[in-house]
Amino acid sequence: MSSRFFRGGDDSSSESSSDEEELLTEEEEDDNQNQQGDSEEDSDDMGSDEDDSDDSDDSEEGAGRFLKSGADSDSDESDEEVRAKVKSAKDKRLDELEASIKQIENGQKNGDWTLISSGVTHVVCILMQMGLLANTRIEYDKLNRQVTKLPGGKTPKPYIRIISELEDFMNEALAKQKVTPKKMNATQARALNAVKQKIKKTNKDYQTEIDSYRANKDEFMESSEEEVAPAPKPKKTVKIELDEAPEVDGDDGFATVGKGGKTLTYTPESIFKHLRGIMESRGKKNTDRLEQIGVMEKLLEIANTPYQKIRVLLTIVSARFDLGSSITSAIPVEHWKSAEKELLTLLTVLEESPEYIVVESAEEWEDDEKPPTLQAGEKYIKVAGSVVSYVERLDDELNRSLQAIDPHTSEYVERLQDEGALYNVIVRGQLYYEQLRKDKDLDISQDSINRIIMRRLEHNYFKPAQVIKTFEENLWSAVTEKAESAITPRSEASDAANLVNVLCNYLYSNSDGIIRARAMLCQVYFLALHSDYYKSRDMMLMSHLQENIPNFDVQTQILYNRTLVQIGLCAFRKGLVYDAQNTLQEICGSGRQKELLAQGVMMQRFNQVSPEQERLEKQRQLPFHMHINLELLECVYLTCSMLLEIPLLAQTGSSPDIKKRIISKTYRRMLEYHERQIFTGPPENTRDHVMQASKALAAGEWKKATTFIHNIKIWDLMPNTEEIKTMLSKQIQEEGLRTYLFTYAPFYDTLAVETLSGMFELDATKVSAVVSKMISHEELAASLDQVTSNLIFRKGVELSRLQSLALTLSDKASALIETNERTLEQKTQGSTNAFERGGGRGRGGQRSGQRPGRGGARTGGNTQRQAGGTQFTGGALGAAVRG
Amino acid sequence: MEDVLKAVSADGSSIMPQLAPNLSRHLLFPLIQFEGDQAEEKGEEEKAKKILSGKIKLLEDTNMTDYVATLYCEFHGTEEPPQEYTKKRQEVLADLEKHEQATEKIADLLTQDEVVNGLRSDKVANLEFLKKEHGVTMEMVNALFDFGQFQFRCGQYGSAADMLYQFRVLSTDNDKVSAATWGKLGSEILSGNWESAIDELKNVREGIDSKLFNNPRAQLDHRTMLIHWSLFPLFNFEGAREPILEMFFSAPYINTIQTSCPWILRYLIAAVITGRSRARNSSTQQKQLKDVVRYVRQEAYEYQDPITQFVNALYIAHDFNAAREALGKAEQVCRSDFFLASSADAFVEAARHLICESYCKIFSRMNIRDLSAKLGLNPDDGERWIVNLIRETRLDAKIDSQDGTVVMNHPPNNVYQQVIEKTKGGFFRTQVLNAAVSKS
Repeated sequence: MSSRFFRGGDDSSSESSSDEEELLTEEEEDDNQNQQGDSEEDSDDMGSDEDDSDDSDDSEEGAGRFLKSGADSDSDESDEEVRAKVKSAKDKRLDELEASIKQIENGQKNGDWTLISSGVTHVVCILMQMGLLANTRIEYDKLNRQVTKLPGGKTPKPYIRIISELEDFMNEALAKQKVTPKKMNATQARALNAVKQKIKKTNKDYQTEIDSYRANKDEFMESSEEEVAPAPKPKKTVKIELDEAPEVDGDDGFATVGKGGKTLTYTPESIFKHLRGIMESRGKKNTDRLEQIGVMEKLLEIANTPYQKIRVLLTIVSARFDLGSSITSAIPVEHWKSAEKELLTLLTVLEESPEYIVVESAEEWEDDEKPPTLQAGEKYIKVAGSVVSYVERLDDELNRSLQAIDPHTSEYVERLQDEGALYNVIVRGQLYYEQLRKDKDLDISQDSINRIIMRRLEHNYFKPAQVIKTFEENLWSAVTEKAESAITPRSEASDAANLVNVLCNYLYSNSDGIIRARAMLCQVYFLALHSDYYKSRDMMLMSHLQENIPNFDVQTQILYNRTLVQIGLCAFRKGLVYDAQNTLQEICGSGRQKELLAQGVMMQRFNQVSPEQERLEKQRQLPFHMHINLELLECVYLTCSMLLEIPLLAQTGSSPDIKKRIISKTYRRMLEYHERQIFTGPPENTRDHVMQASKALAAGEWKKATTFIHNIKIWDLMPNTEEIKTMLSKQIQEEGLRTYLFTYAPFYDTLAVETLSGMFELDATKVSAVVSKMISHEELAASLDQVTSNLIFRKGVELSRLQSLALTLSDKASALIETNERTLEQKTQGSTNAFERGGGRGRGGQRSGQRPGRGGARTGGNTQRQAGGTQFTGGALGAAVRG
Repeated sequence: MEDVLKAVSADGSSIMPQLAPNLSRHLLFPLIQFEGDQAEEKGEEEKAKKILSGKIKLLEDTNMTDYVATLYCEFHGTEEPPQEYTKKRQEVLADLEKHEQATEKIADLLTQDEVVNGLRSDKVANLEFLKKEHGVTMEMVNALFDFGQFQFRCGQYGSAADMLYQFRVLSTDNDKVSAATWGKLGSEILSGNWESAIDELKNVREGIDSKLFNNPRAQLDHRTMLIHWSLFPLFNFEGAREPILEMFFSAPYINTIQTSCPWILRYLIAAVITGRSRARNSSTQQKQLKDVVRYVRQEAYEYQDPITQFVNALYIAHDFNAAREALGKAEQVCRSDFFLASSADAFVEAARHLICESYCKIFSRMNIRDLSAKLGLNPDDGERWIVNLIRETRLDAKIDSQDGTVVMNHPPNNVYQQVIEKTKGGFFRTQVLNAAVSKS
């Protein structure tokens, strides 16, 4: 019994089912274009599943089908059993189907059309869900989208039976209705009509089966089960093929096995036919790409004319790329390498036979029998294809595989070595396009060459000059002697700075929009990396990218962030602490450096990220060798913040009258946290070092601070470590002096410059310069006595608490008035200006004139404030008084 | 051309090579002339000779054949200029005649009162009017332009200016009109009509802002030129100072200076510092000085000369010794600079004031001897100078001649005064507010 049912699993002819499947897959591709990537992946996985576990799959299907045929036999017992056992979605559907059929049958008995109609709708739905009603699918697309497609489905027998019976019954009913028109009520009539239409539609698809059912009802139900015997055969052959394919992967001696196990012979003449076959099967389910690649490798060996070679190479490279069609995983390394080699061969072939060119715009050559020949009056034989896309794809694939490899393994280093080869391919591609562009008739778009140059630039901009030089040397020794580039001549390329400059200049003059912006950022990055601070900063400012960077895509924004950080680091190396802090503030102050620089995914604590977003973010990650060291970055940022914040903290001190200016919130928070700790051990990480140094600096112990800072290991990663350390100790000395003066000024009447100079080991002139600066900026209420070279602190400058509070109060009062005025002005602006008779003159002017006074100088703001206070406040209010 | 520039900048202090590309041939000539005179004064025969030959080369392309011929004679020590000059002279004369003929009619028309009275502000209507009434064609108008250009090349700046003015009134060709405006500006500068030069300056400036707004590069180039050209009125005409400084400090122009010609900072500093004593409004002067200091700091990596070094030492490093040294050098530079030569003394005087001012701000007691040294004066002069300073500016300072010191008295900023000042306007403003609210 069970074996019979088991056999029933493969009952319908496998041909028809596979046909349907094809139809489905194709349709699916059409339907959900946007999900294509996914579905492809799915089908890919599924395909491999099938390969791996053919047997188990079979049994599963068998179970499913067992149920189906079980539906015929009305034995409830077995039904129960099955239900208990099988829980797959498909089986559930089948159960539902059965129930619906029952419903229809009941309806037939009672002549209740509403019941039948709902039953039919249900059946149709279920079938649709099973992916069987090919034609209706499109209509019910929406309903259908979420439903998983059931594998290996086919029209269930009961369905055929019921629809044909239903049709008969309906015809009868219609005939009856004609005779006695008044018998049916409205709902019934409507339901009947609906059923009629549905049946018409669906029955068309299954006409043959219905016919055969009609011809002999019993036999149809039985016979199809008998037909099982020949069915497994075709399946077998496929299986052999599938088994063979993975073996091939391992060894090179690939036996030429065609479809159905036949041995095929390849001749140069048949190349195009094979290629066409392969091209046609591309993207379809159940095509074994590895096998096809094997075939094409074979074809490549026998290809003897350039045209054949070009065609085969183009196909094989794209076939290799198809291997890694999923978004996250890269193509296998060996395939990448072969693809790279094949691309090089392709470029060489194209170089050797200049009458063949590969362009995007070429028409497909339809004739498989004879290759195209050079037409009179034409210079080239065009082959359809796009070298630039291949190069880009190759680059992307390397990038992807680098993303996936753990950067601390030797594997990563090995993989990274391929970059040299890739770089060669890119430049060769560039040469090829330059060659093409020499001929004006060809009309090669500027875009392709821009893209390829951009790729080249992107492989260069983040590297030190020496590395670029090595790359270039390898490159030029690899290409033929006579190869020369118009854009980047051999002679220019030896100097990295020059090369980058040339590439960027080319892009500036020949491209626009995003490529241009990227080129600019790359050049700025390069300059900053090579310590050309002013030039890079000026370029960055002149590019005006700060204003429109939010309009660019995420990749470019990341590049922008990287460039910004690099400029900041460059400023630090130059000893420009203020500029460095300012530049780094935006990125480092956010606490999301990792995310902003695409060097790691942040843990999102508060807002949930969808898997989709997360995947996108993962894709954006930069490979490790392009990373900017985050710890170094943090270290630089914190050190800069310390040098600026500690004197500021000392200056503001406890006085409440000065608005507390905060330079770096992040730093302040860390400092506060550090101060709250009860026990502080010796510093362990960079942050601890900086924090303890800050503490020491605040206490005036600059030597201790210097030691802490110098102990940070990560400075070794900077070039010229010693210089940077010297620079830092100099800065610390100066800032220490300032901090000391701010902190201890209230406790001194006079202070000898000599003492200070001894205390901070600074030159006396340097000390007086620092002091002079502080006095002249009115940071310090003191004056110098030239005769005795003493610093004399003025008395009565320190405010008592009452005095400072009074100052604060007066400040607040005037702020309040100002706010009121502004509110009133805003309110009256919208209405039909009741008191704007004088024609609100100079409202903007006077307003904006007042503003800088408020935010600006700490003490120098008084005069301006006063001026603003006594004047008419312009606009509405001024007019109001006058009127 | 390059020779002369090389010769001039041999000692490295002159920035003529940077200025030259932005000046017209004719505008450059006075600069070279100045250099030549200087060289002669100093008795540097070699240099003077080189400059002379450079002058000839510079003017060879112009129509000032007579002058070039004389220069040639001077240079080679001959009596008779070679044939080619006479030939060229003939050609120029012939050209002149041709141009005169071409413009005869229209020039004649424009001298008639009734015609001039018939003109309105609408250019198109004017042209129509002239065409109808007097048969003036477009070619004739353009001939005016050509003739103006020719005159300019001949060195007849006055008549060139007239021609170009007339052309501008009639022409509707925007490009040519702006070219004519530039030409007129050049003519006015060279003929020393500073007031009309300033008007033209305004015209050019407006033209740059309005016509080239979608071509940043051309805007930058034109502005650079304009900045250079306006140096002539800036240092030669008192009334030009304010409008031109205002222009220099406006955002587009200061950006231009910072981007394409940082050497202008030298003149900007000089103008601001020299203008100190003359400026009516000391607060704007203070602001300008502050701005200049900022720009000097920003551009320090790109451009430095003794004058910027002076500012740097005084206001950024607060190193008075360095400031003194820089001032000494700056004086030299000023004396040998075409634009600054006339105002060198005023500059040094004003610079001393500045040194003294910031010195007084920082020190409470200082040695007269030291201070005099810092000001670059001997002690006696220094004392007199300081006394004058105290009297003029009403500084709160006393000289203690027993110790030979000056004692400054820095009054502390009274906190009560501050509070009063801050709250002074409050009542009034509240009243205004109240009035406004009750009205609405």
